Amino acid sequence: MTPNFKSTLALVALIALSACSKKEAPPAPPPPPAPAAAAPAPAPAPVVEPVSVKQLVLANKLGADNKAVAPATAFAPADTIFAVVETAGTGKATLKALWTFHKGDKTAQVNEAQEELTLAGPASTEFHISKPSGWPKGDYQVEIFLNGTSAATEKFTVK
Amino acid sequence: MSMGNSNPGDDMPDFSDVSSGSTTTTSSAGSFKEYTIVAGDSLSKIAKRELGDANAWHKIFDANKDIIKDPNKIFPGQKIKIPL
Repeated sequence: MTPNFKSTLALVALIALSACSKKEAPPAPPPPPAPAAAAPAPAPAPVVEPVSVKQLVLANKLGADNKAVAPATAFAPADTIFAVVETAGTGKATLKALWTFHKGDKTAQVNEAQEELTLAGPASTEFHISKPSGWPKGDYQVEIFLNGTSAATEKFTVK
Repeated sequence: MSMGNSNPGDDMPDFSDVSSGSTTTTSSAGSFKEYTIVAGDSLSKIAKRELGDANAWHKIFDANKDIIKDPNKIFPGQKIKIPL
């Protein structure tokens, strides 16, 4: 065997060895699947507040917005008397105003009026009474009922 | 405590001539008031009395199309919604 042949054989062997040792890198593992997006939390149910009486104010004059111009508890015989009821909440509501006159232990009914409402939010309801011959002087009261239950009372006088 | 309309001789005043009324105001859409039609009513009369404007009768008609088929034909006893 000649030296050239030996060199050639060694070179071929080297090339063969390097080819065998070349191994393809294993394919990269697939990335883990992204975690599923968490479902959004359900929106909290809106709080439904039933209708309630917040305020009762008396006056002899109302503004354009149905509000009392100057709250009062003393009136003149010629006055129209307003009872302004402020409510909050939503739903059906029956509002009743019962006006009475008091003298000693006696009570006389002056007037009774009722409104059947379905409200979608805050509201202002005015009840008013007037007497062409003039109010007798003395002590009066207006009581507001909401769905049959007394919700507010205000006393007033005519002087 | 006695309660009732005054009678002659019981020194309580007479309140038989008292007149009354009421209105409701709200900025919340979808609010309404129930009204029972009486003899002599028309939608324009009801609108004038309840909404302050006779021409607003169409608002009442629009709110009650399930009850009122013809705005010129309403009947005593019908319960309708008055939009507030």
